[in-house]
Amino acid sequence: MKWRNSKLSNNISSQASIINLKHFSSSVVLNTIATFFTRPGLVRKVALLKKKMASVSKVYILMGCCLPIILFTSWGCTKSSDIKEGNWQLVWEDEFEGEVGLLPDSAKWNFDIGTDWGNQQLEYDTDRPENASLDGNGNLAIVARKESFAGSPFTSARITTKGKFDFTYGRYEARIKMPWGPGIWPAFWLLGSNIDEVSWPQCGEIDVMEYRGNEPHLIHGSVHGPGYSGGNAVTKSFALEQNRFDTDFHIFAVEWGVDYIYFFVDDHLYQVITPEDVDGEWVYDHTFHIILNLAVGGNYVGFPTSDTNFPQTMLVDWVRVYEDRN
Amino acid sequence: MNVINTYKISLYSALLLFLSLPFSCSRDIDDLESAEFPTNGVIFIDGFSAGLNYAAFGGSKVTAFQVDNEVVFEGTSSMRFEVPDFEDPAGAYAGGTFFTAVGRDLRAYDVLTFWAKASKAANIDILGFGNDLGANRNQVTISNVAVNTNWEKYYIPIPDPAILTQERGMFFYSEGPEDERGYTFWIDEVQFEKLGTLSQPRPAILESQNQVITAETGDRLTIGGLSMTYNLPNGIDQRTDISPSYFSFISSDQSIATVGSDGIATVLDAGETTITAQVGGIEATGSLKIQSTGAPLLPLTPAPTPTENPDSVISMFSNVYDDVLVDTWNPFWEFSTALVDDVKIEDDDVKRYKQLNFVGILTEAEPIDATQMTHFHIDIWTPDPTDAPASFKVLLVDFGADGNFGGGDDSSHELSFTAPVLSTESWVSLDIPLSDFTGLTNRAQIAQLVLSGDLPNLFVDNVYYYNSGMTTGNGPTAAAPTPTNDPADVISLYSNAYTNVMIDTWSAEWDQAEVADVQIAGDDAKLYTGLVFAGVEFTSQTIDASAMERFHMDIWTPDAINPPAVFRIKIVDFGADGAFGGGDDVEHELTLDDTNTPGLTSGAWVEIDLPLSAFAGLTTTGSLAQLIISGDPNTIYIDNIYFYREDGGGNPTEPETAAPDPVAPASDVISVFSDAYTNIANTNLNPDWGQATIVTEVPIDGNNTLLYTGLNYQGIELGSSQDVSGMSTLHIDFWTANSTSLNVFLISPGPMETPYALTVPTSGWSSVDIPLSEFSGVDLADVFQFKFEGDGNIYLDNIYFQE
Repeated sequence: MKWRNSKLSNNISSQASIINLKHFSSSVVLNTIATFFTRPGLVRKVALLKKKMASVSKVYILMGCCLPIILFTSWGCTKSSDIKEGNWQLVWEDEFEGEVGLLPDSAKWNFDIGTDWGNQQLEYDTDRPENASLDGNGNLAIVARKESFAGSPFTSARITTKGKFDFTYGRYEARIKMPWGPGIWPAFWLLGSNIDEVSWPQCGEIDVMEYRGNEPHLIHGSVHGPGYSGGNAVTKSFALEQNRFDTDFHIFAVEWGVDYIYFFVDDHLYQVITPEDVDGEWVYDHTFHIILNLAVGGNYVGFPTSDTNFPQTMLVDWVRVYEDRN
Repeated sequence: MNVINTYKISLYSALLLFLSLPFSCSRDIDDLESAEFPTNGVIFIDGFSAGLNYAAFGGSKVTAFQVDNEVVFEGTSSMRFEVPDFEDPAGAYAGGTFFTAVGRDLRAYDVLTFWAKASKAANIDILGFGNDLGANRNQVTISNVAVNTNWEKYYIPIPDPAILTQERGMFFYSEGPEDERGYTFWIDEVQFEKLGTLSQPRPAILESQNQVITAETGDRLTIGGLSMTYNLPNGIDQRTDISPSYFSFISSDQSIATVGSDGIATVLDAGETTITAQVGGIEATGSLKIQSTGAPLLPLTPAPTPTENPDSVISMFSNVYDDVLVDTWNPFWEFSTALVDDVKIEDDDVKRYKQLNFVGILTEAEPIDATQMTHFHIDIWTPDPTDAPASFKVLLVDFGADGNFGGGDDSSHELSFTAPVLSTESWVSLDIPLSDFTGLTNRAQIAQLVLSGDLPNLFVDNVYYYNSGMTTGNGPTAAAPTPTNDPADVISLYSNAYTNVMIDTWSAEWDQAEVADVQIAGDDAKLYTGLVFAGVEFTSQTIDASAMERFHMDIWTPDAINPPAVFRIKIVDFGADGAFGGGDDVEHELTLDDTNTPGLTSGAWVEIDLPLSAFAGLTTTGSLAQLIISGDPNTIYIDNIYFYREDGGGNPTEPETAAPDPVAPASDVISVFSDAYTNIANTNLNPDWGQATIVTEVPIDGNNTLLYTGLNYQGIELGSSQDVSGMSTLHIDFWTANSTSLNVFLISPGPMETPYALTVPTSGWSSVDIPLSEFSGVDLADVFQFKFEGDGNIYLDNIYFQE
């Protein structure tokens, strides 16, 4: 593994006052021993080498600003040697194959049941197939519904691998088609599995992908740790040009190593975070678990309007985790 | 917000439909390929793009649009729109369109965008594109667009850019006053853009409803409620109302109905088909299932033309008469399945009902007064079987005196008709005597006609009420002779010659007759039809005919009077208690025939004039309450019903001459009320002491006279206190025909008051000079009020103190 400069992030304007308190307050604690597995014989190489960094022009949008000032940031001639390249081998995956209506595989996923989660989310997350189940076409459908349930005006789902797959370092990726509309907030993220011992944000949080339904062309990648959590998280946004994330599937990924986290949309690297970039302790050196959820409302996204269509579906084709064998 | 504005646009568009440019006629493919249209998407940035024209809509304020160089979103200028106030003489609203002479190829764009702000928060009625002052084929609008005082970006998504190959309508707007007040809004940076960030297209027809409609061959059904909803770059949904041109319409069975690109389905045959639609390959929500019953059976000829005299008709629906206001021919009452259409049979308008189980035809806004009518007429035609027991029912509902549903005074009656009156596939004319609607006890406020029965397909024409008595030629042509008795000698029940007393009813609930008010040669008369016996009641104000001597009534009947035909008159008196029963009621009935003088006859006025003494059993006449007529004639006109006496006699009810002129010299007089003297100034002749008496001053032979009507008591407050201790008498002239008691009081403060009785009733004017000594106890040095107590109507004059 080679490690060079990562001036990438220096070009990017800092993100203004985004509140991101995906605080983990669930009482669900699973103490089962994590079991790691790989499919025998199935080793995938990710085509990271094909990333044409030099030619990729990306759009970054300065968040938190009233006027939509769009910064066209060309990365210029970034050398491919700036980025560490992994020798990726699949260690965990869920392809969500199965009959329609089946709950996600309980050998891999837990349901977090409850509401709010510290973000003033409006939905009640359930473990019902109406809120999270296979669609029969090889996808997991997490569905936010407008229905009164357990005192909440909406329902949805939040599933985690905590206690079933907790892992350190590697490439974490998922192929997702987004829901849409004001107040809709899907996320694909990693949370430090020691949260019950050291609490948040000391445990660390890596948001591979967050999305606001009222900005359907934008996604956001962030890390939260001690001294840089919530509105002070280290975060970057990635915008599609003349397109949106709710019209088709896109692949959202991080590559996480000892002292770096890279953020990708499809094959575009848009953010590099190293210990130099965080105003605090680098806490990404222990096991994390995966979370998929679809929030309705909350202080990150704002609230749904009468105009927001329900139900809204976050469609996940697959989630895969690779280990670097270099 | 002003819906009218939208209408105006439609109207304007419709007018201009004929001006629409002919697009290709017979050009071949090569020509089409060579045609290139500009692809410029810019409309207004800091000025108009090339080739852009502007036209204000008809009826709008033509100066509403101006270019503004001060208020801009970006650059140097914006478009300013000044919405006029309500009733601005220059135009009712702001509206117009920006269009090009040569179409533009907009296929590369997906949305029209602009920035807008306003001088106040408002909702703009309509903004859109595709208005080319022609056919407006590809119109797209957003409605009720909220604007405020901040610049905001707005999006009008193109439903399917593929069809905009040569669009001329670039941008249009329409907005009326809000709460009757105008305001200003600005629009800037108007351009078609390719954003790629509009998503989730959701086309809809029929407002997304899955509708089912029953139709028949030949029907043309417009598929409305066309819209497209996109999710905007800000995540918000934007609905647009769009033209049919963006849709591909599909009929699931083209042999049953086809649907054109204009969104109009044409029904071809019996059967079922479902109309759906797509925009750009995306299925629209909403559908129309057409259940066609095939070709209808229609009347081949119009209903018979009515021949009633228009003067005696109240028409609800007919080409022959002027129709009264009918609220609706189908109020869609709950459980009613009826549908109604206006159709023409050889230029004759006919109401066509389908799926009729029952239907209300309402005249509630202006109820029909059919009291002068004798019949209800309706023509019906049905293709349905009419063999018994199939029936057709007519229900009439009268809302009663309160004119409203309910209230305890409604009445109604339903009649049912079956074969052989009914028949299939031929016009049936029903002439129904209103007297057959026996439960319809009132006819002055007929508010509902309800049709029902077993004929789901019904054609209806010539619905009207009429009076057969005036139209058969079988009624009097001349008015009854005008009475000549002195009104002072008459108590009239009914006559144009006299003031009539109050009559409660001319046809009591318990009688068997129908009565109508008719006019004969300008003279009012009562027409009784279906007469078995009729009760005329005046019980609430009985008649005191004790001073009367004779009874008069004029009658006219078209019915043959052959012996032993008779006509009877009964008069009832309620006796001293003035109420029915009580053991003191008396009555007498006289029977008249052709041997009387004048004898009963047909086709001429008969002046019945009888001495009350002939009613031998009528031993009292102080509380007459009922008049009952009966006999063989079924139709009778009646006029001039009154009691009278031969000559004057008795007391008049008011003085015919003025009070006698006083003779005392003015120097000896302190006058309260007299034309002969100067009266005490500022005297109040009608102080409000809570009395019931009505005080008026009436001139009699030019002499001002004080009249107390309905006296109970009445005061007079002198303009200033009077020392009358030096006077000797109080003079009063008084006149009353009906008072039984009358006292006059002098009053001094305390109050100290003393009555003095006057003799009543008077025979002509009475004059008294009351010694003031009669008013013992009153301080004559300080008299300040008068009071009269008693009853009846009192005329007073020349009230003064005299030495």
